[in-house]
This record gives sequence, structure tokens and C-alpha cells, in this order.
Amino acid sequence: MDELNNQPQHYFQDDNDQAYPQGDAAKSQIDSRHRKGFIWRILFMAALMTAIVVLVALMFSIANDSFGYVVVISKIDPERLALNVINERLLTMPNTQSSEDDTALAKAIAADPQGIGFFGSATYEQNRDALKPVAVDGITPDRETAVSQEYPLTRPLYLYTTADILAENQAADVFLNYLITHAPETADGYLPASESDLAQAQQNWLQANPALPIPPGTWPAINPAGIDGRLTISGSSTLAPLIEQTATQLEEAGFAAEIHHEVVGSTAGLEAFCRGDVDIATASRPIQSDEIELCRENGRFPQAYPIAADALTVVANPALTFLDNLSREELAQLFAEAETWQEINPAWPAAPIHRYLPGADSGTLDFFARQILQPELAALPTDDLVRLLAANISVGRGRALEREQRFYQDKLVFDNPAAWNEACSQPKGARPSGCTAPPRTQAEIYDLVVQEVVQPDVVETFPLYDTLLKRESIQRQMAAEYPNGALQFRSWLTTSFITDPQSSTPEAAGVRTAILGSLWVIVITILFSFPVGVGAAVYLEEYAADNRLNRILQTNINNLAGVPSIIYGMLGLVIFVRALEMLTSGALFGLADGTTANGRTILSAGFTLGLLILPLIIINAQEAIRAVPTSLRQASLALGATQWQTTWHHVLPAALPGILTGAILAVSRALGETAPLVIIGASTFIVVDPSGPFSKFTTLPIQIYQWTARPQAEFRNIAAAAIIVLLVMLLALNATAVYLRNKYSTKM
Amino acid sequence: MTNNNQTAIQAHNMNVYYGSFRAVEEINLNVAPRQITALIGPSGCGKSTVLRSFNRMNDLIPSARVEGAVLYHGANIYAPDVDPVEIRRRIGMVFQKPNPFPKSIYDNVAWGAKINGYKGDMDELVESSLRQAALWDEVKDKLNQSGFSLSGGQQQRLCIARTLAVKPDIILMDEPTSALDPVATLKIEDLIQILKQDYTIIIVTHNMQQAARASDFTAFFNMNEERAGYLVEFSKTEDLFTNPKNELTERYITGRFG
Repeated sequence: MDELNNQPQHYFQDDNDQAYPQGDAAKSQIDSRHRKGFIWRILFMAALMTAIVVLVALMFSIANDSFGYVVVISKIDPERLALNVINERLLTMPNTQSSEDDTALAKAIAADPQGIGFFGSATYEQNRDALKPVAVDGITPDRETAVSQEYPLTRPLYLYTTADILAENQAADVFLNYLITHAPETADGYLPASESDLAQAQQNWLQANPALPIPPGTWPAINPAGIDGRLTISGSSTLAPLIEQTATQLEEAGFAAEIHHEVVGSTAGLEAFCRGDVDIATASRPIQSDEIELCRENGRFPQAYPIAADALTVVANPALTFLDNLSREELAQLFAEAETWQEINPAWPAAPIHRYLPGADSGTLDFFARQILQPELAALPTDDLVRLLAANISVGRGRALEREQRFYQDKLVFDNPAAWNEACSQPKGARPSGCTAPPRTQAEIYDLVVQEVVQPDVVETFPLYDTLLKRESIQRQMAAEYPNGALQFRSWLTTSFITDPQSSTPEAAGVRTAILGSLWVIVITILFSFPVGVGAAVYLEEYAADNRLNRILQTNINNLAGVPSIIYGMLGLVIFVRALEMLTSGALFGLADGTTANGRTILSAGFTLGLLILPLIIINAQEAIRAVPTSLRQASLALGATQWQTTWHHVLPAALPGILTGAILAVSRALGETAPLVIIGASTFIVVDPSGPFSKFTTLPIQIYQWTARPQAEFRNIAAAAIIVLLVMLLALNATAVYLRNKYSTKM
Repeated sequence: MTNNNQTAIQAHNMNVYYGSFRAVEEINLNVAPRQITALIGPSGCGKSTVLRSFNRMNDLIPSARVEGAVLYHGANIYAPDVDPVEIRRRIGMVFQKPNPFPKSIYDNVAWGAKINGYKGDMDELVESSLRQAALWDEVKDKLNQSGFSLSGGQQQRLCIARTLAVKPDIILMDEPTSALDPVATLKIEDLIQILKQDYTIIIVTHNMQQAARASDFTAFFNMNEERAGYLVEFSKTEDLFTNPKNELTERYITGRFG
């Protein structure tokens, strides 16, 4: 049918009434009406967009301060602390010998039929006939698996020196130049450094030699012939063969300087370097923050030269024929737990394991521990943490902590039993809390170690925006300003933030006191204002006659809803804090909190906020009651119900969802109020949880207000985190309102 | 006026005012017991006001005021010491729109009895009330469901059952079928015929056929120049419709005005 496709053009052609627009005029008249509507629609949409943009901006600014990078400088590097514990555990295993000299280790393993150990691949290459390599996770360490990073124990090797030394000591300058030039060829048993590492080494060397007339992008290989002077090198045994071989090659090429080389382990070598004793340090691990600090104290600014890589090789005596491959778990067990081979694998002999390890100063041991044993402070067992604590804090401090809460149920760490028993035999009030409290958990002891030993200090914070979009410039800035600091992503909103009390250090501060204060105050507010407000509304709607007095009352209630909250604060101060002090301080009931002794209590705050939201509750409840259909009241009354029965059985249940919604919105407002509480004297700094209606208190908004007024930047971060907590509480309240409304309105 | 000796309720020189406005004037009406009395008349003539005066539902309107007397059992229900709660239990009311409580069907019927101190077997009362309202067979399996789950006609019968449960004497019905479809209307009309055996029924209706076929007596109201309603004619329905004494009545029932 063709008509189906016909577009109607003008319905108005045949209209007889000339008073209405005809034809095209009618069409354009309709179009203009649509246009007007469209313009309004755009305006309303713009209004909505504005609201959304404002909300998003608000959320963003809160999130911006709550999360982001921080620079943390710890007194002691927590990983170093954990590494020390793990290293100690490794070295004190039975049948374990250690040496800083890898060659000595290799010889000892070759001589011991139960011997096993690990060291750099170069040492293994030198002794390969007498030893047997063990694959890790099924991968044998060779050039190929190491370069592809497939072998799990591959690591870069470093030389450390400073630009000043290179400028003064020509021998050191040329030595490094030669090493970098020949790095890709690598010495026996070493692996080439990765391209980026090598580029970094080249760049550092070029920076130390700014006067060289070379075009950018090229590498100047200096002829070592004829250079003399003196050069001191100290450090890693892993790098020792490389240094020796290079020295020999240089000598052959006519290098006349005297090279003094000592093998003492990475840690000792870096220490010597940072003290200013040697020109170049060799290390099988990167320099640590505490070492950088030491260097700086001595005026040295170390530069890293990663010129080679090494595959740490696990080697065994060839007599151990069953030992071809070890998984990471087996390796951890072998070096840190087991005494005999059988404990690792039942099929293996029951003979004791003889371990040969690099010494505690060795970067190799650190590397092994880091890769295989995951040295995390938080994961250490209680015993290790307590030992760390004991080694790093004074006995007096330890005793105080122990009396606060003990470390073990059955033994004392710091205190002596006699003093402890005496302290605990005192009467209840004077007895230390540690006498009765359960012992600290591992997590609590870890927190204590962090607080007392690691002592992390946030020295700089970055907002979320910069954290996400300007990572590289932050990293540069941080490397320049805080070389011994750690850059961490930190969420200021953590579980401990919620569960910790207020503190004067922002990192340790929490909002538990404020949350509890807010909850207490809100409970009092609800208990006071809900019954009073709903009662007043019922009276006004169901009973009050429509006379002049009641109309004035109604107008006043409406106006009270618009009175600034600070006025209510002044009212509360005069009435509840001062006039009713006997009641609000609890003195009347003999319950006065000794530290308060006046009316600035939760009760006063609850009543004040109750007054503040009373008009809102009354008005909302009135609206809800008014919305109950008259037919319902008539139905009830026509059955012979009294007015009260009608109200109680029909009007209030039908109005309840509306009353609840209004009341909870009002309570949400009370939860966010600050000004009246400031006036009536909420505490600004309080660490004691409120224990009842007569306690001193602080609330979340007060806490936020107070933190934002602090000069330190970190307080702004925790204020933002506290805002999130407050928002979540408000959302929870509103969700309750929605839930209750749905529950009661779908009941019937 | 009829000469019936027995009177269920009687309006005597009754005037109802809303504020200063007189809504009905000088009503004199004798309602016969166990009969159906229909109140008809054009919109705004005060027939609902008269009906609501019979159980003091006008009290709910703050400005309403009744002068004259409504005699029930020989006493004026507007006397100062009369409690409207007591009156309303004896004189029940069914409204224009079905208005069940937002409760279960069972509770809808039981609630009125409960608050009025009914001490008998509640289940039995609910069943008998629903049977009387001709609703039992339709709802006996879903007594716990909401009253709102029923259809409009069923809801109205539930409201009637609810009224019956408190054992009233008189049932006032304010256009009880105006919100219902014809089938539901007929059911209600049939029900009213049965209820008449036990109750006095006063029904306001807009529908003259309904008045003609369902009532025993009919009162015709009209309003005067001041828009106050007055009683034009009251007699046996048969007489009023076949032999109206007043010209206005004749014009109204023949559809020439109203």
C-alpha cells in the first residue's frame, strides 16, 4: 500500500476556521512552540550538568587529598630490618659456614660431599669442574636464560663512585671508561648489563666528564696506555673476578696506575666508599638509603654504574647426585628450615645438609634472601619482631610497653617477674593494663616495630592528580630532594585510620574517637528530637484547632527551620551547658566524668543538635501526616474508633515512611553540623573514647574542621580521609532511610 | 411524610452550616427501620451532608455545625453529652470510593470489632461478616492478603463486611457504587436487598434507576436560591416515581433538570 509511505504534510489545509493559523503558518506556529520547549529543556539540562560538575569536582577534591604518593623517610629501612632478621636466620642454621670469599666457598663445597651453597656465576665458571650447578624452578643458569630474565636469580652488578672522584682521579676515570667500553663483551662468567643499565652508566660517566669534546650520542673509548696514579677498589666478591680480569687486561694495554683491590663484601665495600676510604665500591646489590645518607654526610654523592649482570648460581658437591633441580619453595626450606635432605624430599637421604653461604656483608646473601625468602617485616613471626624491638628500643621504653600490654602470655621480655608481680598486685585502679589484657597480636607488634624502630616520617605528599599524571616528574623531584626517601602510594583512608584514636602526628592519627563521638551525639539527638518532633507534628495535624495561636505556632516552627545553626549553638551553651549543668554533666546522678566537671558533654551536644533539627522533623512529619488520605481516617472513625485509635493504628503507620525519611534527612544534617558544637565546647583534641552521655567528646566534622586548620600538609590529607568517612556514614544513614521507606510502604 | 409508626432515625428541623454558609435547611425526615431509604437530588443539594449528619461524620469538618436535632432511639445525637464514637459504632458508614485499611482482609474486618471490645470468636465474626457481605467465597483462601489486592467491587463489599462486623443498627451508604462497574454495582445492590432484612439502610445515589429499583423510600432534595439544600418530597419509592406530588420532583425524575 503506497499510502503507508506517504508523509503527511499539512493537516490544516482544509481547516475552515480562519481564526486559527492555516497551512504553513500552522506548521510554523507548532514549530515555534516546540522550539520554546526545547530551549527550556536545554536550560534544565544545563542546570543538571552544573550540579553534576559541582558534585564531581567535590568528589575529586576529596579524593585528590585522600590518596596519592608520599615520600617516606624511615629511620631504619623496614626491608633492611627484615633482611637482617632473615640473614641472621640463614647464617645461624646448623651446619652452616659462611665466608666473604666466594673462592673459599667454592673450594669448601667441592671438598664436602654434603655441601651446597650459592654465589655469582663467575666464581662457578672458575670452579665448574669441581662443582655441580642446580637448576632453579627447572631452569639452568646460563647466558641465554639469564639474558631473557627467565632464570629467577639474575641481578645487575654495580660499581659506585662519584663525579668528583672521577674528575680528580684520572686512573679511576679511565678504569670506568674501559669497563663501560668493554661491558658488552663481558668477562668470563658474567652476563652483559641490560641496555638501559648500560645507557645509564654511560650517561653518568659523560656527566662526570663534561669537558670532553664529543658529539652527543657517541661513546668516547679512552686509550688506557700511559695513565698512571693510584686507584682503590673495595667490595663484592661477586665482582672480584671481573675487577681482576679487567686489571690484567688494562695492564696489558699499558695502564700504569696502581690498582688496590680488596674483597670485603658489598656492604663493607659501600661503607668504606661512603666513609671516603676508597675510590670505587663494587656491589652485587643497589645502594641502600641508609648508605646514601652516610655518603652524603661525608660529602659524597654516589653514582651507579651497572656494568654487568650475574646469574646467582646454586651449586652442590657432585656427590649429591639426586640434586638436579630445586623449586623456590625447596630452596627456602633447604637454606632456612631443613636439617637433613630427607626433610625436603622423602626420597632423599637422611644425611645432614652442609650449607656454605656468603657472609652477612654480602650483597649476594641479601639478594638470595630477597628473591627466595620474601623479607617482609609484616610477615615476620612474633618472636622475630619482639627480638627486633628488644634490640632497638631502651629497656625502660620496652617495660612501659609491656606494662601497657604484654608480648607473651607466659613470659616477660623487658620486665623482671618480681617487679611485674608487684605492679600487678596493686589495687584495680592502679594496676597496669598489661596485667589483665590479652597479649599483643603479631599485627599489633608489627605496628609497634614500625612506630618504635622504623619510625617512618612522611616528608612530602602529592595529590592524587599529580600521582596519576605526573609520576615521572615526582620521581625526579624525589630523587633529587630525598634520595634516601621511599616513594609510596598511600591511601590516607585505612582501617587503622578508622580504628585509631586522635594523635598529634598525622600518620598515626585516626578518627575512632570522633566516630564514636558522632554516633553517641547522634543517638542522643535522635532519642530527643524524634519523639518530640513527631509528637508535636501529630498534635498540630490531628488535634490542634485551627485558631490564631496555632497558626502563629506553625509559622514560628517554619521560621525556626531557617535559623542559622550557630544560634542554636548559643542557645545550647546557655541552656544545656550552663543552666542545666547539673543535669548535663551527670553531677545530678553522681556520674560526672572527673575530667569534664561541667556541661560540655555528649548530652548537651545531643540536645543542642536535637533542638536544631526539631523544626525540620516537625515540618517533615506534618507533611507526611497530611499526606495520609482523609478516607482512611473516615473509614476508621466510621467504625467507632476514637481519634487516638485512628491516629495510632492508621494515620501514623501510613505516615511512617515519610516521617522516617524526613527524620533521617534531618539527622544527616545534624551529623554534619560543626558550628553549634564548636560553640558549646566540643573538645578539639581528645584521645579517650567517649564512655557515655556525660563524656567529653569530639565529632567527625569538628575533627575535620580542626585538621584543616593545621599548617602541616599531611593534616589536610587526613582531613580529606575523614570527610570520606563522614560521607560514608551519611550515605549509610540515607540508605537506611530508603530501606525503611521501602520496607514500610510495601508492607501492605 | 409517611405515617410509619416506627422510626429508626429522625431528622428534626435540622440545619447544617459550613461556617456561615447554610448547606441544608430545615430537614425533617423519618427513616423507617429495616427499610432502604434513598436520598436523591441534583449535585450540591446537600444529600451527602444530610447523610453524614446521621452519624456525626460532619464533626470531622472543623467549620461544620448542626442545628436542630437528629433523634436516634428517641434521643438527640447532637446533645452535648453524646459521644460520637458510640454513635458511629451503631450507625456505620460505607463511602463513595472503597477505602479498605492497608491491612490484610482478615484484619480489615477484625479491626473494628477489636477496638470496640468484641469478646467473641473473632474468626467466626470475620467469616460471618464476610458471608453477610457475600464476599466469603471469594476471599476465604486469601484472608492474609492485603485488602488492596481485591477488585474495586470486592473492596467495597469488604468495606461493607467491615461495617457489619461491629454490629451496627443503621448503615449509611454514600454513593457506594459510583466508582464501580455495572456488574459490581448489581452485586452491591443485591447485597443491599439482603442486608435490609437486618439493617436500616440509608443510601445516597446519583443514579435514579438505582433508587427506583433498590429502595423502599425515596427522599428528593433540591437547593434553593441561596444554594441551601432542602427536602422537596419524601415518600414510598413507588409513589414518588409513579405519582410525584411536586412538580420539581416530576421534572427531576423525568430527566428534565438536574
